[in-house]
Amino acid sequence: MTTPSRLRIAGGTVYDPANGVDGAVQDVCIEGDRIVAELPAGVPRLDVRGMVVMPGGVDIHAHVAGSSVNHARRLLPEEHAADPVPAPPLADGAPARSGTGGTVPSTFATGYRYAGLGYTTAMEAAVAPLAARHAHAELDDTPIIDSGFYVLLGNDDYLLRQIAAGETARARDYAGWLLGVTRAYAIKIVNPGGVTVWKGGGRNVSGLDDVVGSSAVTPRKILETLAGAANGLALPHPVHIHCNNLGQPGNSATTLESMRALAGRRAHFTHLQFHSYGGERGKGWKSAARDVIDYVNGHAELSVDVGQVMFGSATTVTADGPVEHLLYASSGRKWVNVDIELETGCGIVPYAYREQAAVAALQWAVGLELFLLAKDPWRVVLSTDHPNGGTFLSYPELIRLLMDRAYRDERLKGVNQKLLAGSALLDGLAREYTLGEIAIVTRAGPARLLGLPQKGHLGPGADADVTVYAPDADRAKMFAAPRYVIKGGTVVVEDGQLRRASAGARLAVRPDYDVAVKKDVKRFFDDYATVAFENYGAEP
Amino acid sequence: MSAAARTVEHATCLGCGCACDDITVVVQRGRLTEAKRACALGTAWFGDGQVPDVVRIRGRAGTLERALSEATRLLREAKRPLVYLAGDISCEVQRDAVAIADRLKGAIDSLAGTAAPGVLAAQRRGRAGATLGELRQRADLVVFWGVDPDARYPRYSARYAVDPVGLALPAGRRSRRVIAVDVGDARGPADADGRVAIPPDAELDALGAMRAQVQGRTVAPDGPFGTAIALVHEMTKARYVALVADAEPGPTPSDPDRAEALIALAQALNDPTRCALSTLRGGGNRSGADAVLTWQTGFPFAVDFGRGYPTYRPHAGAAERLAGGEVDAALVIGAPATLPDSIARGLGGVATIAIGPRASAAGWKPVVAVDTGVAGIHEGGTAFRMDDVPLPLRPAFGGEDVRSAASTVRALRERLEGAA
Repeated sequence: MTTPSRLRIAGGTVYDPANGVDGAVQDVCIEGDRIVAELPAGVPRLDVRGMVVMPGGVDIHAHVAGSSVNHARRLLPEEHAADPVPAPPLADGAPARSGTGGTVPSTFATGYRYAGLGYTTAMEAAVAPLAARHAHAELDDTPIIDSGFYVLLGNDDYLLRQIAAGETARARDYAGWLLGVTRAYAIKIVNPGGVTVWKGGGRNVSGLDDVVGSSAVTPRKILETLAGAANGLALPHPVHIHCNNLGQPGNSATTLESMRALAGRRAHFTHLQFHSYGGERGKGWKSAARDVIDYVNGHAELSVDVGQVMFGSATTVTADGPVEHLLYASSGRKWVNVDIELETGCGIVPYAYREQAAVAALQWAVGLELFLLAKDPWRVVLSTDHPNGGTFLSYPELIRLLMDRAYRDERLKGVNQKLLAGSALLDGLAREYTLGEIAIVTRAGPARLLGLPQKGHLGPGADADVTVYAPDADRAKMFAAPRYVIKGGTVVVEDGQLRRASAGARLAVRPDYDVAVKKDVKRFFDDYATVAFENYGAEP
Repeated sequence: MSAAARTVEHATCLGCGCACDDITVVVQRGRLTEAKRACALGTAWFGDGQVPDVVRIRGRAGTLERALSEATRLLREAKRPLVYLAGDISCEVQRDAVAIADRLKGAIDSLAGTAAPGVLAAQRRGRAGATLGELRQRADLVVFWGVDPDARYPRYSARYAVDPVGLALPAGRRSRRVIAVDVGDARGPADADGRVAIPPDAELDALGAMRAQVQGRTVAPDGPFGTAIALVHEMTKARYVALVADAEPGPTPSDPDRAEALIALAQALNDPTRCALSTLRGGGNRSGADAVLTWQTGFPFAVDFGRGYPTYRPHAGAAERLAGGEVDAALVIGAPATLPDSIARGLGGVATIAIGPRASAAGWKPVVAVDTGVAGIHEGGTAFRMDDVPLPLRPAFGGEDVRSAASTVRALRERLEGAA
């Protein structure tokens, strides 16, 4: 079959929650790279009777490209040697690329594997502005999927100076300039103020009101300023927040305080699982998932992705340098730290979550609790913080855990129970996600939270990104190997085989801001930066 | 100034890994007449902007068309082809070059392999590092370990670690303390505030003793490493230590375990204080070659696509393959003048295609040679600083003046990827 410019995906069972379609048998029509309402009879058909049709998957939070990811790749030759990825045999002998996998695959393998999983959009969640050019180059080498990135801002020295001086408007304009000049999609905050303290010779911040350099600068103030900036700039996706105290027992207090600090404002809290622990530092851990998700359930302006931990290999890679130093000190594994001038940090520790490790089992349970206690799937979407909690290849297994209570309970019996007392999971959570809800948490929800009106649904005018699955009682099997994946109207996966590898598009914003800020930023660059203002960013 | 004068500001120099991006380049009547702010190395790297424009096939002038056909034939017929990324090409060209190696199921290596011991050590242990600007902002103690950057990285001290004002160091040089560790003849800067001498055969032991001291296992202060231990006390009292070492090979080979010992010391220092190890890398965008190979294959150098996917052969890179007679055709992309001796020697006995600046002047007589411009002088794109910071290249000459490596390598790639 060639790829026609018109295609009727005929007779499938369609899950298109954004348009209220929940398992109806109907056709999906494609013309060019768009979904259309109807096509004349006689256009090429793809007969998918008995199969499940969904929009292409949308990953709201993954680490797939850029300097930190590449540092992680360089650190993992043993994983790459163990997971070779030969070039896929594409239709018509079109050139394809080989690569390597592991927890941090090479760029081509990343694109192919996402597409092979039925995902057609993925957002890189943390790019230092200084290395934006690098991230774009890697995304250019990541085929098929549409992609964009979030630019790191919560520890940026210029920004912190504006906050110290009470220059909120200038902070907003700076964010607007930075988003444009780096061709980014959203603002990312990682451990606000904490990385700055770590780089300055300290260890970390411990709460929202710790002082960061100037007494006027605190994590709270950073959160408020950037949430205000994102909303003031009318960005499609609100500020994307990795809270303080990631991974620490008792951190749910910080997480809830961060949410309250932004009450009434749009904000996205990422990998919530890593921020939902009770207990106390030095005295033990327990789940605080219920407290955190109850708050999320009650606040429609908030959204989250879960950051589920999956048993097996992972690589922790984050701008949260101080957290990785702790993990290095406690695990003794290899460790990369890169402090990034005037902006942020980077830390990497390869890791493994084992069923028999008490903390890993708790993390696994906390993630599932968040999913199962969430009231609104549109605001609590799926992620593993790839590759931090597990790789994107583990999404099908995660979907099975959500959809199949018997399987989940069986797995629960096999994990270390030491820290699970008080976990709602242990009390027995009966909920099973439906296919419609899976379609929400893996495509419709993330697309809506990202403000991508053309993604995550199958209504007329949407991007022709469609995934077709053969139903299987084993949902992991079903979601691991879609029968067809159509990206931008091109059939990239055919009968379960990757056959075409089109280039993906870049998702970026260019907000309006007061350009007067550029002069002030240039002055700061002239005083402190080692890269010329004129050479900064990633404009072509 | 003549009417034909052209000035390009904020040009990036690839003369060494510092990749200074503050150069103002002036071109008059087709010649590069000035590179303002460039050091001696940089001035030599920019030169006068004149490059030969020759296409040579088996020693005779030919057309680009024929050269590409001949190159395609040679590479397709080769059983064990090697692609080598030499210096002075952009990341964009490197990306196409890796695609060629992938297509050929050949081996690929690059100039980044010159720093193999450091890369391999970092793969075993990780590393504690920083971009150069962070050293500028924070490092109140700078320890040059057996290296004076003035020789091979002339503006390192002025732009990054020593002289400039930083956020936490308002008085610049006067806010910092500089220590030179002299390892035999490998001496630190002459104007350091303090010196520590370590015999070369004791270097590893000294680094090990220092690390033990940092970790609280007290080392006898009056023992053989007394001065090194005294340095540890200074380091742990500093707020942010920059430990600077040369990653490129020096005149005398250093212990392969030295790189790992330096990393281990830098990592350990992050318990009592903060420390970043800054490893000095050479020029020509070799750090770009490392980055590109890593993102496209998962490995930073010495990659073999022979099995249809990348495998890592860090101890069987280009030099070893050439010396062992394991290469029957080589594609060298970049400036032949930047090749390590071991590579240049090995290429003498192999059918070679050279595409890059002054390819036609290669001493090892390529079968096909196509001269191109120099990345950053005649053509644009991206290059990486030694600390992996990407920078745009701003060519002084217009694109139409000189054949570009980018278009030439892309054309070759398209031929190789096309139907046979």
